[in-house]
Amino acid sequence: MWFLAVLVKLGDAAAAEADRAAIQRMARGDHDALADLYDRHSRLLYSLALRIVRFEADAEDVLQEVFAQVWRQALRYDTNRGTVIGWLVTLTRSRALDKLRRGRARPQATDGEQRAHEVPDTSPAIDLTLVSAEQAAAVRAALEALPDNQRVPLQLAYYEGLSQSEIAAKLDAPLGTIKTRMRQALLRLREAVAEPVR
Amino acid sequence: MTTDANHDVLREQVALYAIGALSGPERAAIETHLRECDECAAELKTLLPVTSALAQLVPQHDPPAALRATILAAARREARATRTPAALAPWLAAAAMFVLTAGLGLYVGQLREQVRSLERQLRDAMARVDDGERRVAVALREAANLQAPLAVLMAPDLRRVDLAGQPVAPNASARAYWSRSRGLVLTAANLPSLPPGRIYQLWFVTGGAPVSAGLVRPDNAGGLNAVLTTPANVPEPVAFAVTLEPETGVPAPTGAMYLVGPAH
Repeated sequence: MWFLAVLVKLGDAAAAEADRAAIQRMARGDHDALADLYDRHSRLLYSLALRIVRFEADAEDVLQEVFAQVWRQALRYDTNRGTVIGWLVTLTRSRALDKLRRGRARPQATDGEQRAHEVPDTSPAIDLTLVSAEQAAAVRAALEALPDNQRVPLQLAYYEGLSQSEIAAKLDAPLGTIKTRMRQALLRLREAVAEPVR
Repeated sequence: MTTDANHDVLREQVALYAIGALSGPERAAIETHLRECDECAAELKTLLPVTSALAQLVPQHDPPAALRATILAAARREARATRTPAALAPWLAAAAMFVLTAGLGLYVGQLREQVRSLERQLRDAMARVDDGERRVAVALREAANLQAPLAVLMAPDLRRVDLAGQPVAPNASARAYWSRSRGLVLTAANLPSLPPGRIYQLWFVTGGAPVSAGLVRPDNAGGLNAVLTTPANVPEPVAFAVTLEPETGVPAPTGAMYLVGPAH
């Protein structure tokens, strides 16, 4: 029992520690560490990128940009700043949203021009850790069960990167109402994380 | 508590910030507020699992197999072009972290100073042989005692293990420097003071039964600097843990866990 309690506590910590160690090895130029990190997280990151940009070729570009940036910045990355997975997820989302926006604004942009555009890493340094598959499923179910007027603004914000005022304009609703509905939606999803379906 | 008049307004925004839906001045305002407001920082923490879930709940697809090779090849090309000059930096960073580690750098410095001082005393004592052999023996023994932690900290197989405070002692923290060949230095801070008849016991948590690494007693401020020996033939540990136990120590843990940390 005591030993099990330790193991459960250590499961997440061990995964996070393996990620931190990989970043430190990458900072010393170890390519195997990059492969380790890729093997652990590429499915999650690729799926998120694909959900945002919708085209496989674009999602591949996003992943290339993300891992190139991680490789370049491993040396400067402060592993006390937040979790590595938090960094990877926020970086993937912001790169994917950036690609989505550029695609909207300049459909003719060439590959070379897109690459030349370096996205600053402005993601908040937050301590994301992954939730269990059961919790993710519970949140998916809760999201699907939300009324449209709560779910749609949330999806536009997270997966399309629209600002609050852009969402308000798109849905033709007052800005304050949009904010309130999104907050309600998020609080509902928070309940779902706390009580995963059995 | 915060006196910020904007607190109620900003608190409403924490959820939006958590999913990265704020930008520009709104985001700057809440980031400033979060640094000062424990309540909002705690609120943010409860919302982060939702952010993770939003990233995780999308339909899952494997990336094309060729993508892995492309990404690794790109890193190799870049490595040749730009990495070499910076090769020393991680070692410098590691060295800096070692020195800056809370209290430990100071502790090592103090130990060195004490060793030097004792060596001076030892030389003096040896010069005044008529002071008798006893002083020499005492100085020798004390110098040897202080060499022990230094020897551990300089060990080639040194490993660092960070131990986090558990719910019974959320503010406690500790760091173990362990060398299988030379022993273990445990430094800790903010440990709750010991109840009468109790003591902290450090454990190597292994695949089998936990193995005791010894008993440790914090000072009045909850701080600790202890040098322990590696238990004989201890299996590879998966974790280190500290529990509260009866004063004489126990063969297997019985009390609440105060600190725990993964050993790799």
